[in-house]
Amino acid sequence: MKRKKTLRILAILIVAGVLVGAGIGLYMFFMPQRDIRNLPADYNLNASGLVAEFLDDIGSANRKYLAADGESKILEVTGTVARISENFNGEKVVLLKGDNDKAGVSCTFMHETNERVIGIETGDIVSIKGVIRSGAYYDEDLEMYINVTVEKSDLVD
Amino acid sequence: MKTIKTNKTMKTIKTIKTMKTMKTTNLFLALTFMFVSLQVTAQDSGRLVSENIQIKFFSTTPAEDIEANNYSSTSTLNTSNGSVAFSVPMQGFEFDKRLMQRHFNQERFLHTSEYPTARLVGKITNLDEIDFSSNGTYDASIEGELTIRGVTNKINEKGTVTVNGNQVTAKSVFDVTLADYGIEFSSGRPASNIAGTVEVTVNAIYNQQ
Repeated sequence: MKRKKTLRILAILIVAGVLVGAGIGLYMFFMPQRDIRNLPADYNLNASGLVAEFLDDIGSANRKYLAADGESKILEVTGTVARISENFNGEKVVLLKGDNDKAGVSCTFMHETNERVIGIETGDIVSIKGVIRSGAYYDEDLEMYINVTVEKSDLVD
Repeated sequence: MKTIKTNKTMKTIKTIKTMKTMKTTNLFLALTFMFVSLQVTAQDSGRLVSENIQIKFFSTTPAEDIEANNYSSTSTLNTSNGSVAFSVPMQGFEFDKRLMQRHFNQERFLHTSEYPTARLVGKITNLDEIDFSSNGTYDASIEGELTIRGVTNKINEKGTVTVNGNQVTAKSVFDVTLADYGIEFSSGRPASNIAGTVEVTVNAIYNQQ
């Protein structure tokens, strides 16, 4: 009788374990992408300072801003709008760059935030929040400075 | 007295000769400078830049199809000598599934925090068959080196170049064998769900800058 009860408890524990495991697995598999707009910024920076940080020591800046699983730091970057364009995916791209800077911060918006770019003009000083994808550096093969890239961007009011 | 006069005449002749030599030298230097400047201008005018690029990664296995897109790359194309270069920020690849994206970036796959950019540096080998001054679509052969995850391999791929006024569009579809870049899965979900060879599609729109 006691043995039967022990077996029943064991069976319940196993089934519960399998269900919890399957639940976690399913959650992980269908886990939605991070909602950058509703997450707080890890760093508040100005565009020139961020570019300078990468140009001074790209290894150290990569370690500071880029995460091993690709879910890198969320930045709020303030700078002067140097160019507004659109990428292959129809997303607006705002380049923040100071007149004397060698590179800038290229902020790619989303289809959901594209409209927020309307009204922005070159020369305006704006703050943009997004996730960093890569840093600035001089590329000898392209013979040009590569901008910091920030994606999933939105304008900070 | 006569000797002094002769000496003066000689000096004057010498001065005139020196001035003539200087003028010739200056003229030579000016011409050389102009020639070099013209060459530099010609080279500069042939340099196109693209920051409007789509790079698609597609893997297919019986288990599932996986696709990721990247819209943040930078490339240059020199129409004078055919050199092509791409810088691709690897964390810019966007997947439908967050878990897939995390796997893609992790150390055992692309290790993007250590190797944030992939690179392609090459040359169009049939440059004489492409007329960048005439609208049309031309076949292009590219030879060069592709670096992913810090590993460099030689590549030899085909593509097309479309000229439309001042705008040049380049397209290429080629296969990348992951094991060639140190990416191998012997067991587990990635081994069954990620193809050993993935298809990469590149679309780039170049403009003069």
